Amino acid sequence: MVEKKEYKEWPPYAPGTHVRESDIREKKITYSWWEPEVQYSWSVGHAMSKFLQGLKDGKLYGIHCKPCKRVIVPPRMFCEYCFGPTEEWVELKDTGEIETFSISYLDADARRIEVPILIGVISIDGAYPKPMGFMHYFGEMTKDEIKIGMKVKAVWKPESEREGSITDIKYFKPLEGGSEQWDF
Amino acid sequence: MGFLEKQTDPTSPMHWRGDMQADYFYPNGIAGDKFFKHLMENDTFLATKCKPCNKILFPPRLYCEDCFEEIFEEDWMEVPASGKVKLFTKATINAHGVKMEEPKVIAVIEIDKTDSTMLGIIKTNELDKDFSGVRVKAVLRPKGNREGTLKDILYWQVI
Repeated sequence: MVEKKEYKEWPPYAPGTHVRESDIREKKITYSWWEPEVQYSWSVGHAMSKFLQGLKDGKLYGIHCKPCKRVIVPPRMFCEYCFGPTEEWVELKDTGEIETFSISYLDADARRIEVPILIGVISIDGAYPKPMGFMHYFGEMTKDEIKIGMKVKAVWKPESEREGSITDIKYFKPLEGGSEQWDF
Repeated sequence: MGFLEKQTDPTSPMHWRGDMQADYFYPNGIAGDKFFKHLMENDTFLATKCKPCNKILFPPRLYCEDCFEEIFEEDWMEVPASGKVKLFTKATINAHGVKMEEPKVIAVIEIDKTDSTMLGIIKTNELDKDFSGVRVKAVLRPKGNREGTLKDILYWQVI
């Protein structure tokens, strides 16, 4: 997680080609700017609803498919392997293991940044089979320290700032001493 | 709550609300920038002349779109902010399809001393008048309030 975003002027200066960011800020050029209002409301469904409500309380919920012995996170109302209904909610730990990661020198607006953002998929402890989890940011580690299989722990926002969103977890930090795997 | 249980708490199903940011940014380009900067300071328009076609293009361009000939600095000229109505229509609904309180007369105006046209709104009380061929002039924002967009032309007035 990058604490302070450092922007580099992009695109680099070349006469007669690109409009530079400073040209817009300092009103050196004339332009039209329009911000359309595109609002949407997406019904997340029963399973995701519980999951997001759980995030608000600082808990991670998975759901258990008994015939397949799977603990699914993010939860779904049916198992996509056996198409049977998933029944039992399981409270999971907020620790896990880095499954994959990426070191990004572009921010969400595709701007070049000096300090890379670390993102990747985390296998949550207690979810089963192994590559089961979701994507998130990594923090409190550098691009040289991050590696696949690293044990990580969620860093939550303060309770007052949580709103039932995946960003209620700020990022995942390295966990000292490792984490345990539940067995079914 | 499992799949087979019934939903009893109406407050728990969540809706994810969002606002998609889709900003639209259109820089006017080199010729357009020059045109609007001129309009901010003056009450006239700029146009460009294509010598091979012997046509005066408005709004000004860096090259002629008919013959692709480059237009140089010396072919830029000032033209008055007035013209003659070529086509017109009376609009009674707005862009959202809602009926407007006051209908608007929207016209294609042939700009004086040029071979080009532009769209404009004619402000008038005589909504049922035939405007074809009527001479009009642009009413611009007061100097100092102009922001360098086409909205600096408030409306067109019958001379």
